[in-house]
Amino acid sequence: MHPLLIVVLAPVSVLVLSLLIPSTRLLSRIAPVLFFVQLAAMAFSLFPVLAGQEKVFCLLPELCVDRLGALFSLLTQVVVAAATTHAVVFFEQDDAHNLQNTRSVRIFYACSSLLLLAMTAVYFCDNLGFIWIALETTTLCSASLVYYHGTKHSLEAAWKYLIICSVGIAFALFGTVLIFASSQYGATPKGSLNLSELSAHAEYLRYPLLRLGFLFCLLGYGTKAGIFPLHGWVPDAYSAAPAPASAMLSGGLLNCSLFAIWRLCELVRASGHDSFVQHGTLTIGVTTVIAASIFLVHQHGIKRLFAYSSIENVGLMIIAIGLGSGHLFFLLAFNLSVAKVALFLTVGNIVQSTGTKAIADIHGLLAKNPQWALVLLAGSLAVSGAPPFGVFLAEWGLLVHITQFHHWLVVAGLVIGLTISFLAVMFHVGKIVCGTCRPGDISFYPWRSVLVPAGLMVVSLIAGVSGLSQLF
Amino acid sequence: MSLSLNDLVAFSIAVCAILMVGSTHLRLNIFLFSLQTMLLVYLSTLYAHHHAEEHLYLIALALFALKAVGVPVFLLRIIRQVHVQRDAGTLLSAPIAMHTALAFLAVSYMLARQLPVPPSAGLGWPGATAAISLVCTGLLLMLTRRIALSQIIGFLVMENGIYLFGLTQTRGMPMLVEMGVMLDVLVGVMISGLLAFRIQKSFEHIDVSMLVDSKE
Repeated sequence: MHPLLIVVLAPVSVLVLSLLIPSTRLLSRIAPVLFFVQLAAMAFSLFPVLAGQEKVFCLLPELCVDRLGALFSLLTQVVVAAATTHAVVFFEQDDAHNLQNTRSVRIFYACSSLLLLAMTAVYFCDNLGFIWIALETTTLCSASLVYYHGTKHSLEAAWKYLIICSVGIAFALFGTVLIFASSQYGATPKGSLNLSELSAHAEYLRYPLLRLGFLFCLLGYGTKAGIFPLHGWVPDAYSAAPAPASAMLSGGLLNCSLFAIWRLCELVRASGHDSFVQHGTLTIGVTTVIAASIFLVHQHGIKRLFAYSSIENVGLMIIAIGLGSGHLFFLLAFNLSVAKVALFLTVGNIVQSTGTKAIADIHGLLAKNPQWALVLLAGSLAVSGAPPFGVFLAEWGLLVHITQFHHWLVVAGLVIGLTISFLAVMFHVGKIVCGTCRPGDISFYPWRSVLVPAGLMVVSLIAGVSGLSQLF
Repeated sequence: MSLSLNDLVAFSIAVCAILMVGSTHLRLNIFLFSLQTMLLVYLSTLYAHHHAEEHLYLIALALFALKAVGVPVFLLRIIRQVHVQRDAGTLLSAPIAMHTALAFLAVSYMLARQLPVPPSAGLGWPGATAAISLVCTGLLLMLTRRIALSQIIGFLVMENGIYLFGLTQTRGMPMLVEMGVMLDVLVGVMISGLLAFRIQKSFEHIDVSMLVDSKE
């Protein structure tokens, strides 16, 4: 079997099925199976790269993936497979409320499979231009996911998302052109966007142009990831999107844009300007963490709360990228993605059962549905970095790593930001979990609806405990 | 110093964009955008001829068919359907915005002089000035206009500026990349056009600044 088929076959067949099959029941059961089969096939074929026996795995000459990219593409696959598995429950419940029509569910599956293809392409592309194209495609697919409910709110969120991200990504295109221009001064005869070619001749890149290009790309892809002054679309989009889509956005798409930033940082580092990269990214990272933690204090919407928590996590990951530690970057991304997917799916259940997103109107979850309450509590502990979950380990490693560079201000900023966000998230989640529940709230599928989130939290717990036991 | 034909065409593209800022008439703006893209097509063929870059002819052809004709026709259709002729309220009044755009042109000149001279023969700064001014003008359109359609046009102007920068500074990006970018922009325009249509249907206006604040 051609390696390209392993990556392309499942999403394309889901896309075709979603256009052909009118029954959403059948579609929602076939899609996760296909995605899990693809996950297994990818894990099998990427194994030599993961184990370090081979350096790269190539689909086509320009579509190669190294070890970090392979890890990330597997993570993305896990996120999409988990989200679509839970989507079965989500859409059944939506159906019970008569909120959905078949057409939007089919559009959901079509766009999810396109989104998966585009996200995988980001990790496999070895060319800055193609990375840009793949990332813009993810914006277009996910805008339709945000618009799923078709209400005024979702329309506004989709518009905001599309416009802000498109402008951001236009800046990234400008940056890409600048980097292309910088390669024409002796690095390659006619200029190149191929990353391995550029890194091989990195010292001949014209530095002023490269620096300008890097800044524009950082700004552009950063907008897509939700760095601080440009994060406006994140809470709206996450809040308006249906729960499985929010999970994919926060667990899959964020990592994609951060991975693009990682590739660029590596390029500039190869040209010998390490300190410039470090200063830029650390500043952005710390401001994002602190600002997001302050925003977390005053939140009224449950989905917006976790959207801001995502923004805070982006700040942490940007710092890991800036320090050049691919290991920490993946460790953070893996643990955070797993926990956030679990959280967004559980929150989706809660919103469906209470019919509101306002924190003030949701109480007594523990009394009514202890399974959900437990997963929600575990997930919030995990994303805010409490032990024994994997995120704690990754954040601890990050703090230790920063102290090696003697960036004491950054350490102080991070500790303050993490403390505030931990307290804020726990305060809000405590209000949701405790108290007495309203009489009107309904409960559905107490076990089935919690299967995927609980499974993900167990993974996060195992990652944390096994890591901790290695430490001590 | 003498400017070549290429540079004059580049500057007239920038002037088109500045005129767009000065007008609140949507049809006129779409017409100016189309004119601007035609000039860009002409400039691409000039470059293709001078530097014997065959792939630029193909890009010019795609640019003409899709962006100079296709996109304006699509946008005009939406205007007919939503019955909007003018961008009623701009955040900056048109004359002030136009003067701001002129100031941006001057700033772009100063920025362009800072850039290193491109290795291919010819002056770098006239093209770079026009391109940077085009990007800034597009951004100005997006920020000051309140109608969804004007924001789409602003985005397209920005994209034209980036293409112009690539053309004049690097003689065009690789063909596959350029085509992919164009495809993405086209799909983006279609999706945002449909959303603009929906905004008009559900809010009875397409004034983006009056959208409800979705802070539940």
